[in-house]
Amino acid sequence: MSPAEPCQFGRDRALMGMYHGVAGHAPVGMLLCPPVGQALVRTHRVYRQLAAGMAARGIPALRFDYRGSGDSAGDSVALDWQQCLDDIRSAAAELRVRSGCAMVVGFGAQLGGALALAAAPAAGLAQLILWDPVLDGARHATTLDRLQEELRTDPMRFTRPRAPQDAAGQWLGFAVSPDWRAQVAAWQAQPVRVPTLVIDSLPAPASWSTLAAAGARVVAMQPATQWDDLHRLEHAILAPELLQLVGQALEQPA
Amino acid sequence: MMSERALRFGRAQHLVGVAGLPSATRGTVGVIVLNAGLIHRIGPFRLHVELTRRLNAHGYPTLRLDLSTLGDSGASADAGSREQQVRADVADAMALLRHEAGCGRFVLVGLCRGAQNAHIAACTEPGIAGAVFLDGYIYRTAGFRLRHYLPRLLSPARWRGFLARKLRQAIEPEEVSFGSDYPPREQVRGELAAMLARGLRFYFLYSGGIDEQFNHPRQFRECYGRSVAFHPSVRVDLLEGTDHTYSLLCDRQRMFDHIEGWLLEHFPVSTAPAAEPALQA
Repeated sequence: MSPAEPCQFGRDRALMGMYHGVAGHAPVGMLLCPPVGQALVRTHRVYRQLAAGMAARGIPALRFDYRGSGDSAGDSVALDWQQCLDDIRSAAAELRVRSGCAMVVGFGAQLGGALALAAAPAAGLAQLILWDPVLDGARHATTLDRLQEELRTDPMRFTRPRAPQDAAGQWLGFAVSPDWRAQVAAWQAQPVRVPTLVIDSLPAPASWSTLAAAGARVVAMQPATQWDDLHRLEHAILAPELLQLVGQALEQPA
Repeated sequence: MMSERALRFGRAQHLVGVAGLPSATRGTVGVIVLNAGLIHRIGPFRLHVELTRRLNAHGYPTLRLDLSTLGDSGASADAGSREQQVRADVADAMALLRHEAGCGRFVLVGLCRGAQNAHIAACTEPGIAGAVFLDGYIYRTAGFRLRHYLPRLLSPARWRGFLARKLRQAIEPEEVSFGSDYPPREQVRGELAAMLARGLRFYFLYSGGIDEQFNHPRQFRECYGRSVAFHPSVRVDLLEGTDHTYSLLCDRQRMFDHIEGWLLEHFPVSTAPAAEPALQA
């Protein structure tokens, strides 16, 4: 298996990604839609492992960063929901061109799951695998606000609490524009006509009924993923069962 | 059009990095940013992306990369210590920027473990002209202990913070222990002195997030002596109040301003006309 290839694509070649190619014809490819903010940093390793694992099974995979995130062009404060959806569409097209695959499976964790779900029809995603996707944007925004306030006063991080204005307009280390905040808060998941698997590793019981009502399957994954624990803000997220669950899902379409 | 390029490079084509290539004038130093701990090349809170783009805007070619086995980089087939790998990776990074931007001299930037790796590479690799050490090597001194413990005896707020930290550490031990992998102080002091004698320039920038390791710029002299601390090619600053990874935007901007100012003073962007990049890596 050849190593992943760095790539740039989209308008002005603004999107950066890593393409995990395979030898020969591949009918199915996987597009990995990242979360944003610190969750992107924390999941980098598990995304890389998943993409490499898919390629080892003969499924080409593309990881990428949205404009305003990761290595891609743009400031963090310029993140835009619609732009992220357009970027997913560009990335799906890039994966099709590079691999020749006819069918693209979308994978996304946390807010990446929400974006994959929202982009699925326009990007032509034939199947979705969503790991703890955000279904209620308003609740997600509230959680991030709470964590940002906890960070400001965290004695493990600062010897003295920081002034509110020092921490304003940010979510856990990243600038947040009023538009992005409003776009995230306005997100309410709607079911799509795409076979969907939800991988649930949330620490507290969650309702996936919005997606389940439309036929989505839900599988549990252990151990629980601590997305919202401030004291793990800079710890990598590990998911030893993820590759196996995703592999099984691709062998038995949702 | 984006002026950054994602590249695979290195002696075994095992390294991945993003080069920022402004229309540089030949002779400008290239800035190479090393991984902060295990975090991939974008850095904590995307710090490395923001920093390299700011430096690109001034005309500095940059490379933020993943060292062997970190981020998206793989392993080379070399048998050798981690230190040898770091040196070889940095040599590969310099060769890339030499080829892509015509750089002949380089400044390394690293935070925490990245600063330690920058120190390791700067000790031996020709071409390195300077380094920015963010929370680089520092050792506790008698002065540190006086400044650390005396105020705590008298301040209820500091007692509360101290107890909260200790309680949290008892419940959940920190994964990173500053100083745990440090070589002996005398070794570091000797290496710094030798590098300064070779003409390297250093900026030691400490955050407030390592206040259990460093609490006053004076500690640098207490630690390494006057010949290193007062050397004209050494600058030391403490950004009080900040955390170790600069999670707040205002702290990050402050840190960027310091790095930019030091670079522009010690390694100004060349005003010579641009030339063709070197043909050989």
